[in-house]
Amino acid sequence: MSAAANRLPLRLMSGCGLLIEGTRRSAAFQPWRGQLDLRYQRQGDQTQLRHQYARAPLKVQRPFYPEGPTVCHTVMLHTAGGIVGGDRLQQTIDLGRDTAALLTTAAATKIYRSNGAIAQQNITIQLAPGAVLEWLPQEAIVFNGARFEQNLRVELAPGATFLGWEIVRFGRSARGEQFVSGDWRSRLEIWQDGRPLWLDRQWLPGAPETFHSPNALAGCPVVGSLVWLGLPLTAEFIEQAQAALTERSHCHHAAGGVTPTLGDGLLCRYRGTSTTAARQALTAVWQLLRVKLAIAPCQRCASGPEPL
Amino acid sequence: MRGLRRRLTAMPEASGVEIMLMNEPLASGSLTSASLLALLQLASPALPVGAYSYSEGLEMLVEQGAIATAAELQTWLATELTQGAIQLEAAIAHRAQQAAQRHQWSQLSAWNHWLSATRETSELRQQSWQMGQSLLKLLVALDADCSEPAAQLGTPCNYAIAYGLAAAHWQWPAAVALLAYLQSWAANLTTAGVKLVPLGQTAGQQILLALAAPLQAAAQAAIARPDTQLDSCSWGTSLASLAHARQYSRLFRS
Repeated sequence: MSAAANRLPLRLMSGCGLLIEGTRRSAAFQPWRGQLDLRYQRQGDQTQLRHQYARAPLKVQRPFYPEGPTVCHTVMLHTAGGIVGGDRLQQTIDLGRDTAALLTTAAATKIYRSNGAIAQQNITIQLAPGAVLEWLPQEAIVFNGARFEQNLRVELAPGATFLGWEIVRFGRSARGEQFVSGDWRSRLEIWQDGRPLWLDRQWLPGAPETFHSPNALAGCPVVGSLVWLGLPLTAEFIEQAQAALTERSHCHHAAGGVTPTLGDGLLCRYRGTSTTAARQALTAVWQLLRVKLAIAPCQRCASGPEPL
Repeated sequence: MRGLRRRLTAMPEASGVEIMLMNEPLASGSLTSASLLALLQLASPALPVGAYSYSEGLEMLVEQGAIATAAELQTWLATELTQGAIQLEAAIAHRAQQAAQRHQWSQLSAWNHWLSATRETSELRQQSWQMGQSLLKLLVALDADCSEPAAQLGTPCNYAIAYGLAAAHWQWPAAVALLAYLQSWAANLTTAGVKLVPLGQTAGQQILLALAAPLQAAAQAAIARPDTQLDSCSWGTSLASLAHARQYSRLFRS
């Protein structure tokens, strides 16, 4: 978190920092019902954000085009500082034919300890033929005792491409906290024509055994996944991606691997101790995939996408 | 399930033996001797579908030193039964059995696609498909009545799906079918662990017997778990399987 946050300009820091968090706390025990709807369309050679609707605490910044008109960069914000038990956040993202968008978040998502209620985030993504979505949110920090459930469902039209990652830190490990109570579930489902291509139904029950056992975290609080579905990949490309990942998984007791999925995709898993290292490892694979997509590697994004 | 039990117990099968389980919530099953014999045969770890050639990442975990003792092997297997991919597989085997009992072939096929899409790695997917295909072929060869659902399923067929089909065909009570499925999985991986660590045969048998409680809990959970909570905690298996695909010297195919 700190490395990413340090790069954020002051404008954003105040948007997701203590000031508003304070306001939030005074409105005690009122869970949020946030919503964000984004619809993109192609106009000439430009991808435009043609429709947007946001309800607090979710917001979206004005889209920008750091790499030309084709790819519309959009930064999503959670203005209340973090997610609390009972919150319901709903997002609908729709990419029209031949559009390209890169979505990220302004800061790490904090998921606070719950007093019992489950916080839920539901995201539905529709990708039309020829659409390319890069879904690269900053990491989530799951506080000990958090109860969180995310359902992300992608409807991938034939000829559309989805690339998404998720980086999670379990417990505020910098202060020695471990995720030893609570419950975390994150489901990513990618469907095409009524058939599932990739169903990732991740579950981490908070318990000291889970935190330490080799079956789950093996004492490493940071996990990351990257998935790509769309254009076919060769075995050589999988090897290349594996090499890029291995090169960046040496330190921090990290482990990582790459494997083909159903429907000509790729899955990349990472487990380690540093979110920065996780971002760098997954970014290496992402940049290779960008070349494959014939989008120039993002020069400004050597350590992951960076909000302006 | 209760309906099936009524049907089974009402059958005038003089030689029928009734299997009652120690665990109360699982005690809803009764089984004829013919059905039991089919179960012993088809759920046996020795069934020629190639199960012995897979370690589901154990080979890598032993090489990495994460599993070096009998106690560590036992804890690994018990944890997988509680949270890992195998409890998800058992839940799908149960749904496959229900779909096949009701002749809902499109439902059976949908669960087959579902399971293929949840396989974490290429190796684990290939394992499930190879064993599933072998079992499906065997079922058709053993009883022609299995040909219709087999044709509906097509290829590839996951192992848990083919097993669900067998469970419906030979009318194994759900809880019994699942216990046997999970026990067969545990027996195979224990054998793999005994070879890899290595451990003595007696240690292997002790591990298997000590897994009784997690096996019963997993069978019970597979029936009780709602569709919305078909999740698993698979980081360990997934990373081990990814590394296994690149392991220099291998005895096992996963």
